[in-house]
Amino acid sequence: MTSSALFLLVAGLGLIGWLVARAKAQKLNTGRGALHSRPGHHGWHLALWIMVPALIGLVTWQSVSPGLIHQAVLADPTAASLPMMDMERNAVLSDAYALAANPNAAVFNPDAQKLVGAVQAAQSKFNLFGALITLLLAFAGGAFGYTRITAAFPARTHVERVVLGGLLLASLLAILTTGGIIASLLYETGLFFSKVSPTEFLFGLHWSPANGSFGAVPLFWGTIFIGAIIAMIVAIPLGLMSAIYLTQYASAQMRRVLKPLLEILAGIPTVVYGYFAALTVAPMIRDFASAIGMANPSTESALAAGLVMGIMIIPFVSSMADDSIAAVPQAMRDGSLAMGATRSETIKRVLIPAALPGIVAGVMLAISRAIGETMIVVMAAGAAARLSANPFDSMTTVTFQIVQLLTGDQEFDSPKTLSAFALGLVLFVVTLALNIIALRVVKRFREAYE
Amino acid sequence: MSKTGINWQSDETAKRLARRYAAERRFKALGLAAILVSLAFLAFLLVAMLAKGVGGIDLQFLTASDSTDPATAGVWAAVKGSLLTMGVTIALALPMGVLAAIYLEEFAPKNRWVDIVEVSINNLAAVPSIIFGLLGLAVFINTLNLPRSSPLVGGMTLALMTMPVIVIAGRNAIKAVPPSIRDAALAVGASRVQTVFHHVLPLALPGILTGAIIGMARALGETAPLLMIGMRAFVPAPPAGITDPSSVLPMQIFLWSDEVDRAFVQNTSAAIIVLLVFLLAMNGFAIYLRNKFETRW
Repeated sequence: MTSSALFLLVAGLGLIGWLVARAKAQKLNTGRGALHSRPGHHGWHLALWIMVPALIGLVTWQSVSPGLIHQAVLADPTAASLPMMDMERNAVLSDAYALAANPNAAVFNPDAQKLVGAVQAAQSKFNLFGALITLLLAFAGGAFGYTRITAAFPARTHVERVVLGGLLLASLLAILTTGGIIASLLYETGLFFSKVSPTEFLFGLHWSPANGSFGAVPLFWGTIFIGAIIAMIVAIPLGLMSAIYLTQYASAQMRRVLKPLLEILAGIPTVVYGYFAALTVAPMIRDFASAIGMANPSTESALAAGLVMGIMIIPFVSSMADDSIAAVPQAMRDGSLAMGATRSETIKRVLIPAALPGIVAGVMLAISRAIGETMIVVMAAGAAARLSANPFDSMTTVTFQIVQLLTGDQEFDSPKTLSAFALGLVLFVVTLALNIIALRVVKRFREAYE
Repeated sequence: MSKTGINWQSDETAKRLARRYAAERRFKALGLAAILVSLAFLAFLLVAMLAKGVGGIDLQFLTASDSTDPATAGVWAAVKGSLLTMGVTIALALPMGVLAAIYLEEFAPKNRWVDIVEVSINNLAAVPSIIFGLLGLAVFINTLNLPRSSPLVGGMTLALMTMPVIVIAGRNAIKAVPPSIRDAALAVGASRVQTVFHHVLPLALPGILTGAIIGMARALGETAPLLMIGMRAFVPAPPAGITDPSSVLPMQIFLWSDEVDRAFVQNTSAAIIVLLVFLLAMNGFAIYLRNKFETRW
């Protein structure tokens, strides 16, 4: 029996339990106040008693049974002829599993054919066993739950306690994800640093993983140059001025039309921006570079990637600036206007200085988003790791190299693959730091005006 | 009236005023120009994609799967892969996100643990998407040995990414339900769980769904984390289930954009149009939901 069929069976039993318990509780309901909990709660109580133990059993069985099947297959007489080396033996075994699941599967080891019978026998034996355990748990839980249906039994309290536990588990998933990210990055980075020294990685000037040199400074520079310099030169003036126009000058009607239009820029997938950068913007920049007398400019340039990335970030900068300008008290604006300042003077001399901490925090968040951006640089920035301040050069970034190192053929223990995780860790730490500092600045800034 | 020392009628003052007003007009024009430049870029992008791709969209393109020949290649396998992936994502992220939002907004005590949960949710929303791909690769593929390139792993990875978005939207929607609703339910004898599930949640649902759809739209356009878990394979037939190797729509765009054959430019642009239509439909639906069910208390 497959696990999904088993799952459906357990769910069906739960439904039956729900109906049975509700009917029984209904009969106990002799009048007002006779029952502690409503019949529906008794239904849920029994359903939980049927399903929770059975599903826990099912999941546990699913995680231990592959190991047991493995043991059983190895103990089979036909497995005696298998090679002793772990690697080869596992290759034959995984082929046998593939054949057992699908007789037409393409496999490399002819030996696997002999094992199919043993594998299928072990699988059907252990699957039957697992199904029996699951059903037994369902019936045992159900029987216990059924005996507890009495008029005075506080079924609601019990059910609600389970619900609260479920809510708590769901919110712990966020911690689990964060922990998972940190643990997996740290673990793989640790493996990497046991092969390559951290100083070489963080301060080395030469990046060429194929030849075993892992100096990541050119990648850091490329990331900063594209994400924090070129993109911000585009995004800050355009985003800030858009926010100022929308909040201070535009009529309510114009704002209603222009703001969503501007937000569309943030909703376009990055792969579309990347394609646009590679197909349209990069050739234009190359032609421009040769027009101003550069010798063989490359199609892939830091400028193309940074420019398009900057455009993508505009709505983000604009909405952050919008928020911080709106947080400046109206009295400051009114005071300035009452002194006879024009609106632009008020904006430049009063609003922007007052909103500056919020705007700076917004820019930091924008930078953290830009340096983590992947598809635009993968498609438009190029693979050459070089320390150059020429925006027409092709340049590579941290995210580009992660993609480069982890796609295609990979052995999991080589320093080449592991270095991608070290780069990921650097990226994670830097974006996290930018975010934490920015959020703290915003918080303090809000408090100052409250 | 005493003399103030300033002659408001003099030529000098008039000139100064004129200069200040000119600066005012220049500043306003600059603001408008910033918006227009951004929108011009948007229009340029959309027109360029439409011009290159609209000729490539026909029934054959929408129903065929990937192929090495640009003339017979289509997007159906990628669309189906995207639908399966999004199905897995929503099945995991929506319940988890909503339950977490309910807990944090309605039941969580004020203590250190809850603070840590809140901080990690806010930070997860800002972690670069490629990091989620690294997590998916290290945990789902290398540790749990789930099938590579499958919508199952893709959907799980994107669910981790989407969940914080849904939690944040859900908390705002739940916060917007006025306390009087809760007080009324509690006053007639409902328990706290009943109050939340029978009264607060139904009222907050449109807001939660709007947030969920926007989060899903972001996940639908996401490519980088899926590159990490190997969803860049050439997939000539649509996946039959969530454990089959599969491609997704943005990945198809990425793969075609890499082709040397110029004929794939039309395919890529056409696939981009298909993707943008999907996104437009989802965002439109979110806006419709918000306008239809939005309640001002």
